[in-house]
This record gives sequence, C-alpha cells and structure tokens, in this order.
Amino acid sequence: MDLILQQTVNAFALGGTYALLALGLAVVFSIMGLINFAHGELMTIAGYVLMYCGLAGFPFVLSVALAVSAAVAAAVLMERIAFRPVRNASGATMLVTSFAIAMILQVLFQNLISARSQAVVLPQFLSDSVQFGGLIIGVNKIAAIAATVIMLVFLDRFMKHQKTGIAMRASAEDFAVARLMGIRANTVIAGAFALSGLLAGVAAVLWVSQRASVDPLMGFTPVLKAFIAAILGGLGSLRGAVAGGFLLGFIEIYLAAFLPQELQEFRDPIGLCIVVAVLLFRPNGLIPSLALKAEKV
Amino acid sequence: MKALLLSSTLAAAFAAAPALSETLRVGVATAQTGALAYADVPVSGGMRLAADEINAKGGIGGDVKIELVEKDVRSDAAQTSIATQELADDGVSVIVLPCDSDPALAAIGVISSAQIPAISTCASSPTLPMIGGDYMFSNFPGDNVQATVSAKWAWDEGHRNAYIIYSPDTQYTTMPLYFAEVFEKLGGTIAGQATNTIGQQDFSAIATKVAALDPQPDVIMTSAYEPDFPSLLKALRAAGVTGQVIGSDGIDSPTTFSLGDVAEGVVFTTAGHATPGSPLEAFNSAYEAANGAPPETIFSAVGYDLIKVLEAAVLAADGSVEPSALRDAIAGLENVQGATSLITYKGTDGMPVRQVSLIRVADGERELVGQPSPDASLIPAPRMQ
Repeated sequence: MDLILQQTVNAFALGGTYALLALGLAVVFSIMGLINFAHGELMTIAGYVLMYCGLAGFPFVLSVALAVSAAVAAAVLMERIAFRPVRNASGATMLVTSFAIAMILQVLFQNLISARSQAVVLPQFLSDSVQFGGLIIGVNKIAAIAATVIMLVFLDRFMKHQKTGIAMRASAEDFAVARLMGIRANTVIAGAFALSGLLAGVAAVLWVSQRASVDPLMGFTPVLKAFIAAILGGLGSLRGAVAGGFLLGFIEIYLAAFLPQELQEFRDPIGLCIVVAVLLFRPNGLIPSLALKAEKV
Repeated sequence: MKALLLSSTLAAAFAAAPALSETLRVGVATAQTGALAYADVPVSGGMRLAADEINAKGGIGGDVKIELVEKDVRSDAAQTSIATQELADDGVSVIVLPCDSDPALAAIGVISSAQIPAISTCASSPTLPMIGGDYMFSNFPGDNVQATVSAKWAWDEGHRNAYIIYSPDTQYTTMPLYFAEVFEKLGGTIAGQATNTIGQQDFSAIATKVAALDPQPDVIMTSAYEPDFPSLLKALRAAGVTGQVIGSDGIDSPTTFSLGDVAEGVVFTTAGHATPGSPLEAFNSAYEAANGAPPETIFSAVGYDLIKVLEAAVLAADGSVEPSALRDAIAGLENVQGATSLITYKGTDGMPVRQVSLIRVADGERELVGQPSPDASLIPAPRMQ
C-alpha cells in the first residue's frame, strides 16, 4: 500500500512538471495554431542562466528569478524575431520555423558554450527528503508539486481576471472576431509567448533541479513529452493540457513501477499505446478546446 | 582517347603523390554536433594538441607531418558512412570514427573495402572491433574490462548483493550486464535489475522499487551517464537508498563532482587518473596552456592517446603512411605511452589493453582508489546483442 502511495506521489510530481510543459505549448497553440518546438530551448536557456548564476555565486532565489525572466525574454524575442515575419504563412511554415529555431539554438549552445553537459550548482536542500508517516518524499518533488499548484492558480486568475488574459481567451476562441472588437493581435501573441516562456522557465528550474546539469540538447525530451501531453489533453485547451500532463506522468510512473521486469524494455511503447487508446475513445483529447468543434472522423 | 587516358593517369599519379610524401593525412569523421558531441568534441581537442606538438618538432620521427582532415558527422550513422567514404576517396591514410559503436559500425563497409584502418575515438564496446574486422580498432578500456575491475573491487570490499540499472539503448549502457556476470562468477548475488532509457528524466519509480527491497542491495551498479546519472543518483538517495553506487567512465565529468552530498562515496571506472608526475598530469597542463582552460573530461587525453598511437604506428612502419602498412603496424603495437596509460594492441582483436583507474568521489574531489590489472580469467567474453 505504501508502495502505491509512494509511486502516486512520484506520479504527481512528474505529472505536474509535464502539465507545466504542456501548458506552455497549449497557450501559444490556442492563439496562433502553432506548436512551438523551440519551447524546449527556452528551458535550455533558463538552465544555462541557472548555471552561470550558480558559478557567479548568486543566491538560489535570485538565480531562479533570473532564469525564469531569461526564458520569458527569450520567448518574447523568439516571437518578435522569428515568428512575427511568418505569422500569416501556413501552419507548416510556422512549424518548420520552430524546428529551425530549435536547431539553430542547439548548435549555438554547442559551439558557444560547450558540447558537454555543464554542472549546475544547486542548494543541498533540494537533494534532501522528508518523511511523512511511511512516505519518503524528496524536497524537489514537493517543490515540483507546489510550483505546479501555484502556477495553475496564477494562470487561472490571470486568464479569468486580467485584461490581457481575457483578451487571450477571446482570441483563442475566435481571433478574427476578437480583433474586430479592438484587441491588438501583437499584444495578445506577445503575451501568449511571454506566458509560455514563464511556464518553460519554471519547468526548467524543476527539470534542472533533478538532473543537476544542462546540455545543448536538453530541450528535446521535455518538448516531446509536452507535445504528447498536449495532444492527449486536447490541443489548444489549457485545462486539457494540465489533464494530459498529469495523465502522462501517471502512465509513465505506474508502468515503470508495476510493469514486470521482462516487459520493462517496452515501457515507452506500451505507454504510447495507452495514449493512443485514450485518443481512440476521445479523438479530440481528454478536454477538447472549445474552438475545436468539429468531431474528427 | 589514349591521350586523355594518359593525362588522367598522370593526374591521378600526381594527386596520389602527396600521400606518399611526408604527411600523415588523418581523416577525422567524428561528431562535432549532436548527441555524441559531448565525447567527440573534447577528443578533437586532445587530438589537435598532440598533432600540433608532434608537428612543432618537425613531424613524426622528425619528418612525417600530421594533417587532420576533419568532417562533422552530426552524431548520425548514415552521415558517418558518407563522410568516411569522402575521406577514403580523398586518400587519407587512417580514419577516426565517432565515440559510439553504432555510427562506427556504419563505416565498416567503407573502411574494409578501401582497406584503410579506422579507430573509434572512445567507443568502449568490445564488440566493435570484433564485428568491424581487421581494419577496426578501438581506443578505450573495454566495457567488459571496466566492469571486471569494478565488480572485483566491490567483491573485495565485502559487498555480496548487487542491483543493476542498465539501458538496452546502446552497447555502452549495457555494461552493468558484464558487471553482473563477473559479480556472480565471484560468488555474489544480483538482487534485481531495472532498465532505463537514455535521456530519461525521472527515476523516482525505479528508486522507490530499490528502496522497497529487503534486504537492501550493498551495491547499485549503472553505466548511465549525464544527464541521467545525476537524476538517478538523486532519486536513489532521496528514496532512502544508501548502498554503494558504482558507475563507469561516462560519469567522469565535472557534474559528478559538483553534486554535493548525494555523490559522496560514488566509485567509478575510467581511462586514467593524473597522479603527480604522470603523463596525464603533463597532458593536462599542456592542454591548459594551449586552450586557456583545463580539459573538461578524460576524453581529451584519450584523443591525445589516439594520435600517439598513430605516431607509434608510423614509426613502426618505418615512416610509411600507406594504409595497409599502418594497419599492420597498429595491430602490432605494444606499450605505447599515451597520456592516460600504456596502450597495447598486439595480441588483441583491436580492443586495446589499457589501464583502468578506479576513482572515488571524496569531498567533491577525485580520489584514486586503485589502478588494478584485472584477472584475465574473470573478464567476460564480448556479448553480442
């Protein structure tokens, strides 16, 4: 019983991180119809800032703030430099643009910083764990769960009560009509990117605090997970992204924990089969976006 | 037509002529970008240093200069094969291949038919030269040898019960299977095993499983490397697992020494250790003088070794840079002094005999546990997958 509880806590921590990642993709997708595959590189940038701050001996709280701000700034710049010129182009053009940005950034990191992983100095308490009854929970797990909850509450309030948030929801529902109502496209899109940068930054801090290093290709795995989670939850739907992130986290942890050893080699394919099975029953994802009214056949 | 033939034959003769003069042209088809760049980029740094040093003295034996012809293969197997073909067409004498068996294997067909010897920068799977045939050489202590050293050490420390965590994704990450083989041969038991995928971020499920074992394993052995290793280690320690963790050369990296308390006491095998007065210490200071920073990893010194091996081969071939003469010369080399170790190819199938160093993380610093020569009867046979 304890084992199941323990693995459930693990699943919540991992699922929370996936939820933040998927939300980052979903915020931009809901407005622009773009899956930004360079989202992972925003995390890499935040990771490198964390690394340099550690080398400079900054307090951890300041390092985290700077890392998250760097991800926000990079996301806004990415939109301004790369996506704005192709905004009216086809979806495929934007998708390829996002791949190009990801690759260019990876090669720049490899050549200008280092091809090798760089160690990130982290405070000792992140490696500690605390005991709750029979459960042993790592501090970084608690941090992941807490950060997820805080971000979700913040996002919910922002989307419901802030002017930019309301404008973003309106644009997600129908961009053309929203613009006719006087909502500025540039503001909404830049806002969406800034928000995705914020989510990437927070996710990056959680991600790096587990692995204690940052490397040029670090962004690939998280963006892939985020993509799967976003599809699972329903592309473009923010609630769906959260649900998809948690479900993916649960699938991965439970399979790793309870699949017999002989089948462990096939853990990832089995996990993806479960994702496909869910999509067979809910083709538009767990909680489909309102804008996506047509049922797929 | 005859005139054309004659002139093209002449042209070909002139084109081939430089290869016969005093230059050893080394084709370097390694991964300067992509997933293997973490290993091949530092190797290149060491190779350049060695080539510059030798050239500054007038070349190998005072007259054969070394020229590195470099091509980036982007960590891609197909690109490795293409780049190797281009280098072979270019008439290089020897080819350097990436630090992983899989892309190196992709070039076998080309090097075998062109009959040019090839050395992988740091692939450590003993199966590579076996599959690769006469022209394929490695440049690193084999996985089976490293595992023998660490398993014997664990046994001698009184550990009797081990748990292994490996990944079937590459040959290298299956090293724990060799460890298990040796450990069981010595009389130990394997309490269990778990598999991970390369690049796996979260190890909490595996860590929870290990923590639930009764009795707790004395030793946890893995050849996971960055970024997986720190994540695995932190998850194990956070779950309350306190057993001895043993790793391999992949974690011989600054990150391992910066992890703080969780990494204290971790032991791993690697290709060398800079004891005072050792060639490795001399290499490290020469590298720092040339590049402004000390090498980030042992792979740089291994790159230096590779050029020293080629230097010794050219000398053994009486200054010849002809590919098949070089192949025979490499296969007969004995006790070449590299930066990390003495290197012997004679009597092997291309997997060199090299020293293995056991390192412990103590107070965030490297501590040499020993440089034992493994008992040949314990070393497992290369395992074909």
